[in-house]
Amino acid sequence: MTDPDSSGAAIEARGIVKSFRARGDVLAGHTVHALRGVDFSIPAGGAASFIGESGCGKTTLGRILAGLESFDSGSLSLGGVPLAELSPRKRSPHFRRVQMIHQDPYSALNPTRTVDAILRDPLALRARQTGRPRAWIDARAREVLDLVGLDPGYVLPRFPHQLSGGMRQRVVIARALTVDPAALVADEAVSMIDVSLRLGILNLLRELRSTLGVSVLFITHDVATARYIGADGELYVIYRGQIIEHGPTETVVADPVHPYTQCLLSAIPVLHGIEQPGADRLTPTEPLDESQPEDGCLFAARCPFATEKCRAERPELGHLGDTVQEHACFYPQRRSVVATPVAGS
Amino acid sequence: MATVLETPTGTTPTVTPARQGFWRNLWRVLRRKPTRLAGSLIVALFVAMGVIGPFLYPANLPIDAGNAYAGPSGSHLLGTDFQGTDVLALLVTGSRYVLVAAVIAAACTVVVGTGIGLYAGYRRGGPDSVLMRITDFIITIPGLPLLLVLSTLWKYSNPLTMGLVLGVTGWGSVARAVRSQTLSLRERGFIEAARGLGLSTAHVVRKELLPNVAPYVAMNLLISVTVYIYLEVGLFFLGVLPFNENNWGVMINQAVQNGVTQTGQGLSYLLSPLVAILLLTLGIVLLVDAMDEVFNPRLRED
Amino acid sequence: MVAATQATANAAATAPPAVAVRDLTIVYKTPAGELPAVSNVDLYLPAGTITGLVGESGSGKSTLALALLNAVQKPGRIATGSIDVEGLGNLVELPAKRLQEARGGEIGYVFQAAQNSLNPLKTVGKQLLDLGRSHGVKDRAGLVRSARQLLARMGMDAARVLDSYQHELSGGMRQRVGIMFALVLNAHVLVLDEPTTALDMISQANVLSIVRAVHAERGLTTLVVTHDIGVVAEVAEHIAVMYGGVLVEQGPTEDVLRAPKHPYTRALINAIPRVSGDPSVARPLPGRPPTLETIPKRGCVFRERCAVYAERNLPECVTEQPPMLPVADGPGRLVACHAVGTKESVR
Repeated sequence: MTDPDSSGAAIEARGIVKSFRARGDVLAGHTVHALRGVDFSIPAGGAASFIGESGCGKTTLGRILAGLESFDSGSLSLGGVPLAELSPRKRSPHFRRVQMIHQDPYSALNPTRTVDAILRDPLALRARQTGRPRAWIDARAREVLDLVGLDPGYVLPRFPHQLSGGMRQRVVIARALTVDPAALVADEAVSMIDVSLRLGILNLLRELRSTLGVSVLFITHDVATARYIGADGELYVIYRGQIIEHGPTETVVADPVHPYTQCLLSAIPVLHGIEQPGADRLTPTEPLDESQPEDGCLFAARCPFATEKCRAERPELGHLGDTVQEHACFYPQRRSVVATPVAGS
Repeated sequence: MATVLETPTGTTPTVTPARQGFWRNLWRVLRRKPTRLAGSLIVALFVAMGVIGPFLYPANLPIDAGNAYAGPSGSHLLGTDFQGTDVLALLVTGSRYVLVAAVIAAACTVVVGTGIGLYAGYRRGGPDSVLMRITDFIITIPGLPLLLVLSTLWKYSNPLTMGLVLGVTGWGSVARAVRSQTLSLRERGFIEAARGLGLSTAHVVRKELLPNVAPYVAMNLLISVTVYIYLEVGLFFLGVLPFNENNWGVMINQAVQNGVTQTGQGLSYLLSPLVAILLLTLGIVLLVDAMDEVFNPRLRED
Repeated sequence: MVAATQATANAAATAPPAVAVRDLTIVYKTPAGELPAVSNVDLYLPAGTITGLVGESGSGKSTLALALLNAVQKPGRIATGSIDVEGLGNLVELPAKRLQEARGGEIGYVFQAAQNSLNPLKTVGKQLLDLGRSHGVKDRAGLVRSARQLLARMGMDAARVLDSYQHELSGGMRQRVGIMFALVLNAHVLVLDEPTTALDMISQANVLSIVRAVHAERGLTTLVVTHDIGVVAEVAEHIAVMYGGVLVEQGPTEDVLRAPKHPYTRALINAIPRVSGDPSVARPLPGRPPTLETIPKRGCVFRERCAVYAERNLPECVTEQPPMLPVADGPGRLVACHAVGTKESVR
C-alpha cells in the first residue's frame, strides 16, 4: 500500500455533526449532541487549540480528526483529500497521519512490553510497507527517541512503569512519530504530568512543529498551556458542541468577547503577588446541566447577560461588533477578565 | 534538538530476547518465596512421576498374593492392594493417565476459551454475539452427563480422548472471563494507539491483549488441571467409566469395592491416591501464587 | 484575594497553632531498607488559617497529609516527631479508639479524587448514615440535617444528592460531597488532598470558592495539599513548598510568590505557562522529581536540579541538608537553602 505524501498536510473540517445515544432505559434513551456543525481548519505545520469545559465536545472533535470516531455528517479532508468519500479501509492510511497523544501516558503504553517492543511494532510495519531493511528499524527507533529528548540506551530496555510520567509521555510521542505523522492531536497531554515537567513536553511539541513541520492540535481546559503551544495559532472555544469563539490565540485570550469565554478565562487561578485579577471577572449563573434548554443560545441558561432574544434565537458564528475573532453572541462585549502581571514581576 | 533528560543511575536491564528472559524471570519469581519453590518441587515430582514412572516398573506388576491389604512396610512403602500388588507401584503407574488427561483438558479449555474470549471481546458486534451464544450453549451443557453418555460410545482408554472431551465441554467460563477482561482492556489508550498506528487485529490480539490477560490465563490453566483431576478421578471412582488399566480413580474405586472402608484393612491402598491428589493440588496452588508476578512486569523487582 | 485581614493574621500569629507538626519523619520499608518519604518536617498551621502545601510527585506531601490523620499505611510508618492537634494532643500517641473518633470528628479529610473514595454501591445518604454509625452518632436526624445544610450551602440540591449514587454525580459534585463528609461531624481541622485535580477550570474555581467560604464561616483551620501553585494562590494565605520529603520554603502566599527565596520555588513558578505576559519567559526545570529511592541521602535534596548550585557550587550543598531558617524579608518567611542570606539572591 503506498503512503500518502509524507510532508505536512492541512486539515479541513466543515459542518461536523456528531451525536451519541446516551444511556437511558431501552425505550427512552436520549441523544447527546456532542458536535453541532463544527467548522475547523489548520494549515500544514500550524497550531490550533480547543478549549472548553468537560463534556463540551472538544475531545470528541479531536478523536474524529484522528479517525478514532466516526461522524454523522459534514466533511473532513486531510491534505486536500476528502475522506468521507473513501471506504473505511482506504481511509486508514490517511488517518494514520493524524496521531493522538492521550492524557494518561501510562494507559497509553502496554505495561507488559518494553519501549523497544512498543516502537518496533509500527516500525516493522512501516519497513515492510516501504521495503526497508531490518537495520533501518533499529536506527529509526533511536532516531525518534532522540527527537523527543530521551536516551535510547536508557529507555529501550525498560517497561513503562519504570519510567517517570514525563518520560512515558515522550515515549508516546516518539511512537506517534514512527509513522511520520502530519499532525499530532494532544488531548490534555500534560495534565497528568508533574508541573515542573510540563513545560518540557510543551516545548517538545513546539520544536516538533518547527523541525518536522507537524501540526499540533492541543485540546485542553487549561488556557495557559493552550496559549503557550499555540501563541501563533488559532484558539477555538467550544461550548456544548458548538464553537462559540474562534480567532488568533492572543486575540481571544487578551480580548475575549463571548461571555462563556470570559467565564473560562475568569476561572483561571490568579497568582496573587505576581498577577492581579482582571477587573470584570465573570462566573456562570448556574452549573452545567444536561437538561438546560437547546433552543436559542446554548449558553443562555447560564449567561449573566442573557436576554429573551438569546433564549429564542441561536446566534451564528460571525464578526458582529467588528471583532477580529469570530464569535456567536448577540451582545459581544470586551471585558477585562484575564489576570495581568503586576508591575515589576 | 530537545534537551536530553538526565539518565538516572541504576542497573540497566539489557534487551533480552523474550524467551530467555521468561525462564530467568520465572526462576527469580519462584525463588522469592519458599512456598513457591515447594510448590514447584511438588509439581515437578508429579510430572516426573507421570513421565518416567511407568518406565520404572514392568508392564505387569508383580503380585505378592500372600501379602494382600498389607500396611506400609519396608518392602512395600505404601502397603499392598487386594491382590498384593505394591501400592506405590500402582500409584506411580496410575499417574500418567490422570495427569495427561487433565493437562490436555486444561490446555484445551484454556486455549479455546482464551482465543474465543479475546476475539469476541475485541471485535464486539456480530462476531461477539455469535461467539457468546455458542459459549453460553457450551456452559449450559451438563459436562458430567455428557461424559457418561459418550462413555457408551468411547472407551476412554486413551487419555487424549478423555482430555479432549473434558476440555471441549469446559471452555465456556474461561471464554466469558477472558472476554470481560478484554472488554475493559480495549478501552485503554494503548489498544487505540495500536489501531491508530495501523497494526492489524492479529497483532493487537496476540501482542497487546494476550500478554495482559496472561496472568489470568496461566492461573486458570493450573487450577483447571486440579479441577479436571478431581473430575476424572471422581468419575472412575463412581465406577461410571469403564476402565481396563489402573489409575488413581480406579484405585479408589477398587479399594472401596473390596471393602477397605468396611474392614479398615489396606487403608493405605485407599488413602495413597487421595493423598497424592491432595499433594498435587497443594503444589499447584502454591505455584499459582507466582503466576501474577511472572506475567506482570510491574510486580517484578529489578 | 479575600485572605485573612491583617488583624486575623496578627491574632493567628500569637495564638497557639491548631496543628503543630514537629520534626516529623515518615519512612517506608523497601527492599533497600527504610527510606524517608518525609524528613524532619516542622509545619505549623495557625488556627483559622488556610495553608497550601505545594509539591510534585515524590515530594511526600500526600504522605504528610495522611499523617495528619495518623493514617499512614504499612509499609510506611511515622519514625520520629509529633503531630499536635488542638484539643487532641499528639496524634501519634492517641489510642486507636480516640483516633478513630478524631478522624471525621475533629479532623476532616477530603481524599484525592473524591470520586474514588465514595462507595460506588451505596447512595450518598446511606454512606452518611454509615459515617454516623461508625462515630456513634445518636442523633441521625440531626446528622442528615447538617448534611443537607452543607450541601445546600455548596449550591447543590440536597435531597437529590443524598439519593444519588457516585456515578450519577459530576466530578465537581463528588468533590463537594467529599467536603460535606469531611465537615458533617463538625471537624475544626480540614485537610484537602488535591481537591481540584481532574476538574475543569470552572468547576475548580467553584470548589475553591466554596472551600474559602466554608472555611471562613466555620472558622476552620485548613490545609490544601496540591501540585498546582495556582490553587494555592487562589485559596491559601500561607504556602509551604515541599520537595523530596523536605519543606523548602514557607511564608505568606503573596510574599513567597512575589519574591521566592528557594531556587526550587523560583524555578517552579517560572515553569508555569501564564495567560498573559510574554509566553516564552517560562523556563522548564531540568531533570525530574526524585523518587523514594533517588532522594539524595546527604546534602540538599534539590541539589541536582538547582540552578544556583550549578552556578555557585557551594560545598555545604553536598554535605548537609540546609536547615529551615527565618528570612529577614517578612514575618513568617522560612527557607531551607544554603545560598540564601549569604549573598544577594540570584535572579
